[in-house]
Amino acid sequence: MGAQKTGLLRTPWFQLTLALVAVVLLVVAPLLLPIPVNQTLARIGVFAVAVLGLNVIMGYTGQVSLGQIFFLGLGAYVTAYGVENGWNIALVFLAAVVIPGVVGLIVALAAARLGGLAIAMVTIALPIIGVPLAKRLSDVTGGSQGISARFSSAPDWTGLANDQWQYYLVLAIGGISFLLVFNLVRGKYGRAFRIVKENEAVAGAMGISPYRYKVLAFTIASMVGGVSGFLYMVVVQYTSPETLAFHHSISLLAAMVVGGAGSIIGSLIGGIYYVLVPNFTNEVAPTLTSLIQGAILLLVLFILPGGIASLPRVLRRWTGRSSRSSPPASSPPEASAPSSDPSPSTPPNTSPSTSSTTPPSTASVKEDSP
Amino acid sequence: MAARLTLADVNLHFGGVTVLKDVGFTVEPGTVLGLVGPNGAGKTSLFNCISGHYRPSSGSIRIDDAEISQTRPAGMSRHGLARTFQHPALQLESTVLDNVLLGGHARLPGGPASWAVRLPPMVRSERELRAEALDRLEELGLGWAAHRSADELSHGLHKGVELCRALMARPQVLLLDEPAAGLSHGEVDSFIQTIHGLKAAGEITLVIVEHHMGVISALADRVVVLNHGSKLMEGTACQAQSDPRVIEAYLGKDSMDSNDSTDTRDGIGDDAA
Ligand SMILES: Nc1ncnc2c1ncn2[C@@H]1O[C@H](COP(=O)(O)OP(=O)(O)OP(=O)(O)O)[C@@H](O)[C@H]1O
Ligand SMILES: [Mg+2]
Repeated sequence: MGAQKTGLLRTPWFQLTLALVAVVLLVVAPLLLPIPVNQTLARIGVFAVAVLGLNVIMGYTGQVSLGQIFFLGLGAYVTAYGVENGWNIALVFLAAVVIPGVVGLIVALAAARLGGLAIAMVTIALPIIGVPLAKRLSDVTGGSQGISARFSSAPDWTGLANDQWQYYLVLAIGGISFLLVFNLVRGKYGRAFRIVKENEAVAGAMGISPYRYKVLAFTIASMVGGVSGFLYMVVVQYTSPETLAFHHSISLLAAMVVGGAGSIIGSLIGGIYYVLVPNFTNEVAPTLTSLIQGAILLLVLFILPGGIASLPRVLRRWTGRSSRSSPPASSPPEASAPSSDPSPSTPPNTSPSTSSTTPPSTASVKEDSP
Repeated sequence: MAARLTLADVNLHFGGVTVLKDVGFTVEPGTVLGLVGPNGAGKTSLFNCISGHYRPSSGSIRIDDAEISQTRPAGMSRHGLARTFQHPALQLESTVLDNVLLGGHARLPGGPASWAVRLPPMVRSERELRAEALDRLEELGLGWAAHRSADELSHGLHKGVELCRALMARPQVLLLDEPAAGLSHGEVDSFIQTIHGLKAAGEITLVIVEHHMGVISALADRVVVLNHGSKLMEGTACQAQSDPRVIEAYLGKDSMDSNDSTDTRDGIGDDAA
């Protein structure tokens, strides 16, 4: 019975219907919901995109990045600056993506060459340098006061309220970002990112340069971070040095882990976690906020190391195991195939007894940087 | 098309330790070279030098006319080189099919932007690669496992999947590091059949490291024996098995006759001290 149910869940028709229902709900929702709820939903979208970017470099490619919030902040500042100077909004958006992308590229070209934890170390520096820099460059950034930019009021022709219009902007731009990243990580590039994460020696043997793919993933993560910064300005309309403070980067990382590292859905769940859990803990016990958040993080890590997004997979394993245990219907044909061999079940003629004494020979000595 | 692999005076040192010393040989296009030697002889290290994972301290390695001793691993696919690892290095959480598709990476066109927007040529190439991967798995008798997660498979099947992944690159030169280690008799037989099939097609040059002398005798046109990082001898499998120097390297000074009479399947490496 369980098998039938999961079978239905996996049919393309069912999934298509489910996706359509979800889209319709997402589109209709802001017309029915109160303003604060719409604003919260929009904020979830903003941080889901930020977590998505982090997932590209960390979840998929396995490079610890503690600087993702810097790219959100950079995107936000670029947006504010562009709006203040009266740029066309399309140009503002482009700059908010490209400038963080270029900064990310330069950082990665230097950091990924060093290998190991160097990327983590360099990325710690980004928000730490970014905050005083944002304070100093007050001509551009407004200093400690911050800078606000109102460009996301609903146009008259839409007949929408501001909160609804902002929600739709986030939904459209965030949705496209999710779609693009989803496409990217399920084919050629997703496989390459994953093997760079798991085994650089094998990656090299497949023609995949770990260095180049780390740089690529970091650049994409920075650009997606820039998108989230633009969306942040759409919703919040104000940014200050606090926006890119280091502790937000840690929260983003926790959100990614709780949602599910290396998972698209996990990024969305991460966005929900990032926005809702602090709200929730603030209301329940304002003095214990970080304690409760830490407890939630540990709880998820213990119960679901793959994050909340891995829940269906874990459940399927459980149900699959119990239903498969009775009939060996799915056993490989292999057992009967080599019938020419009189004793297919004799113990394998191994040399591992001797050869496995050497350490795994996949160690890479040649640094993979140009 | 199969390519010629030429090594000349390859040396490899780690600090003061000499792992390879003046190793040289040529593998003619379309032939199979068996690379044997006792544990620690330097066979895997030599593979690592050829595949770019180690940089030889000196010497020359060429595929046809291209010098590759300074090339990085990721650059080797351009020279038509592929390899497997002594300890199968699969992505255990991915499906067998995804593992195999990875081998075709270098053949897929397009940059990240084209893939992010799913341009039709990218979608088509992915679909074709999938079909090819499924065919190859089917040929190796692994079709049933395509959608299983790799960690559900036995060690012997991992070796098959890894071979399949390497073949997806359509290499001109293929290095196999102990492809038969840990395989059952049936699996060894089907492995030998597979390699015979590849040889018959004549499009690939193979180097096989193997302790299992049955495999070497069945497949290798020529054999190179390494000992303590140096080439001990080169010749046919028969010559290698009866060469006193080789037997000494494996067994110490005495008793070649007792070994000779046992089943050829027994890896001579098994007897190494
Ligand atoms: N990265 C390295 N650093 C230092 N020494 C190394 C390194 N790689 C290999 N060696 C040494 O080189 C020698 C040869 O090892 P190698 O793995 O090439 O032998 P092998 O012939 O493949 O043996 P086996 O049959 O056990 O697989 C060993 O003594 C090993 O310790
Ligand atoms: Mg070895």
